[in-house]
Amino acid sequence: MVSFIVKRLGQSAILVLIMSAMVFVGMYVVSDPVAVLAGEDFTEEDRQALAVELGVDRPLIAQYLTFLGNVSQGDFGTSFVYNRPVLGLIIERLPATLEVALAAMLIGLVVGIPLGVYSGLNQKKRTTKAISFTTTVGYSIPNFWQGILLIMLFAVWFQVLPASGRGDTVEIFGVGWSIFSLDGLSHMILPALNLAIYTICLQARLARSGTQEVMYQDYMTFARAKGISRDRIVRRHLVRNILIPIVTITGLQLGGLIAFATVTETVFSWPGIGKLLLDSIHNSDRPVVVAYLILITLMFVTINFIVDVLYALLDPRIRYA
Amino acid sequence: MKKSLIALGLIAVLTAPSVVNAETLRIAFSSAPRSMDPIPFSGAPTASLREHVFEALVGADDSPLLANGWTWISDTSLEVSLREDVFFHDGDPLTARDVVYSACRMMYQVDGRRNLLTSSMGPVADVVALDQHTVRFDMHAPYPLWIQKMKFLPIMSATEGDVADGPIAYDAEGDCGIAAYPTRAKYEEGSASIGTGPFRFVSFDPSGEASLVRNDNYWGEVSEWEGVEIRTIGNAGARLAGLLAGDFDVIENPTTEDLPGLEANPDLAYTATPSWRSIFLLFDVSPDGAPGVIAQDGSAPLSDVRVRQAMSLAINREAIAARLFGGEATVANQFAPNYRTGAPELPALDHDPERAVALLSEAGYPDGFKITLAAPSDRYSNGARVAQAVAQYLSRIGIEVDLQTQPWSVFATQRRERELGVFLYGWGHPQGAAQMISFAFASRNVELGLGASNYSNYTNADFDAAMQAWAVETDDTIANGYLGEAMRVVMEDLPGVPLYYQHTIWAHRADLEIVGRQDERTLATTVSRR
Repeated sequence: MVSFIVKRLGQSAILVLIMSAMVFVGMYVVSDPVAVLAGEDFTEEDRQALAVELGVDRPLIAQYLTFLGNVSQGDFGTSFVYNRPVLGLIIERLPATLEVALAAMLIGLVVGIPLGVYSGLNQKKRTTKAISFTTTVGYSIPNFWQGILLIMLFAVWFQVLPASGRGDTVEIFGVGWSIFSLDGLSHMILPALNLAIYTICLQARLARSGTQEVMYQDYMTFARAKGISRDRIVRRHLVRNILIPIVTITGLQLGGLIAFATVTETVFSWPGIGKLLLDSIHNSDRPVVVAYLILITLMFVTINFIVDVLYALLDPRIRYA
Repeated sequence: MKKSLIALGLIAVLTAPSVVNAETLRIAFSSAPRSMDPIPFSGAPTASLREHVFEALVGADDSPLLANGWTWISDTSLEVSLREDVFFHDGDPLTARDVVYSACRMMYQVDGRRNLLTSSMGPVADVVALDQHTVRFDMHAPYPLWIQKMKFLPIMSATEGDVADGPIAYDAEGDCGIAAYPTRAKYEEGSASIGTGPFRFVSFDPSGEASLVRNDNYWGEVSEWEGVEIRTIGNAGARLAGLLAGDFDVIENPTTEDLPGLEANPDLAYTATPSWRSIFLLFDVSPDGAPGVIAQDGSAPLSDVRVRQAMSLAINREAIAARLFGGEATVANQFAPNYRTGAPELPALDHDPERAVALLSEAGYPDGFKITLAAPSDRYSNGARVAQAVAQYLSRIGIEVDLQTQPWSVFATQRRERELGVFLYGWGHPQGAAQMISFAFASRNVELGLGASNYSNYTNADFDAAMQAWAVETDDTIANGYLGEAMRVVMEDLPGVPLYYQHTIWAHRADLEIVGRQDERTLATTVSRR
């Protein structure tokens, strides 16, 4: 296990390095922060001075090496636009995204897996066909349009939920959380639901196909022959065996929900990191974009690592040398 | 018990302000203000928020705001007298010393970073407080535009910094003998956000939220809104949904498609105001050819004025304004909005595709040529669709158009690298009707501040002479004469093609009324109940 962890860490470091270089070069090639930030009436001399100030006047390699040097000391740089350390900026926005992504994941698992298991067990029933149809539709609706639809339905027609924003937040560890206040929770329902619908559908479909496969395995027949109750078979034998693909997908999806909730954050004006990323790309704010993507890479690496460990716990046959 | 209730009621009645309205105005911006610090950013959303709290000596309509008036006492010295009835939110009166302080902070590096607006102070050599309510601006060279530029000098209270008592001596480095200026954080958390404006600062969040409360001691007309809540929703659909749901009273920039729906809804309405932003095509007219412009014989078609005239004649501006904007755009006949103060009277521009084809043949391009038309996709309202329409009009007279719409950050970079032969662009005109042409078409003249953004490689001796005379003329009437001359020349030469003037649009509750301004700002003071 130890050598596995060491190997994993090494791989992650290389991954992060490649990632940072790609983003750095990409942003450098595509847009020039001076062109974006400078006022219309700036002279060429003003623009040069601004380039020096931002540190973008030097060759790309030199800029990248300085950046790497700073990162090794924990300094991810200063935002061109906000003129603040980018790490602080990202951490400030992180809770908003985390809470909505986790809520969505929770809804997805709690609703999706039982739906999937149910329809896997009762293939001929009408409700099963309805579930299958609904999940296919929910799976294919564009997130963006679905968000507007939710707003129209719950905020405009029924007027039961607020259309946008975070509502009241409660300060914990120096940052605001919506999840701990009633008003905040009511603001969170729609964005969380918007993210959750896809997750519900995906989990339901996964659980269903898993169930259909496991149901006809010899050990299931044997369990039934032993006279074990249906409930116990489902809980002990079935669900446990369909969990491996579900855990994999859940891990990847959680990462995706956190990293790329951008569309939902934009539609619901939810001030999370996705919105920060989008604004920063827009403003050519390279330090924020680079730091963000490095952190996201690290997050994916960590999640995958946890998934691998969970495998071993779920399936005793898997061992890491 | 009863008595005390009556007493309470009496107190409530007696202490209520003369404008009885306990309502807070809730506004949704379409993009986020970047900071509450009035100095470092110039964009419209930041300025909209700022102008609730901070004011300048000159107002958006070029008339005196915190100033009483001004006179040029020499070619290079402007004496400004201040209103004597103005108080900051902390109760201190406005004095000439505060103006000097504000000028100092304008030049000073904000949090160690060069101020992105600093070039606004470039021409100023000295700022002197002559007495309590008179201040003199000395220029390096004649610079009549300074009056317009004072709009961008927000007046802050000298008490906010670590400033020693006594007069402040201005210097161009902004040091001014001041030990420390407040950092940006101090403005965003509020302790330094002390202005003279109609609203006081309450809170700000960089995600685009701000909350303000009425300044009951405002020197001008006290607002009828007790407070202002600002939120930012980037997505137009979600913004409109917020208005429909009753979360907002006013929202910025509804899309053109939503206007008929707003009109049909008895609870909602919209207001459109012509803005000082004009939208046009710009050409690289260099005789050596332009990037992306290819003629079969290898010549440079855009350097021929007949070709440019043909391109102008090909475009149906009326149709663009009517169909793409639902009528909420004003057809252009020159580069500056023709309703901007100082703009000359000029005839309307023709739409005549047949004459355009004839002109192209005459110029030696009967089979047309190829151009690449670049346009920012996320900068101007309906910008990408306007570019598509223009591309179609041009292709109808035989010009083959490769349309490239790109995000602003990419577009702006390519423009700076001069990689664009033909592009769609827009300029606001806060500094008067000459602003765009003086930057975009004049030959580079560092002393007079002309031609800093000349991406057209355009030069014309008559035009330059008129612009150079304009740049140093302090008499408005004479200066406008020069401006008219310059505009006429450039409209004959057409180094670009004016298309239309943008309107600023707000959607709002039907019982509200907005008297919009040309400067694209969204201000609670312009909103009132019917």
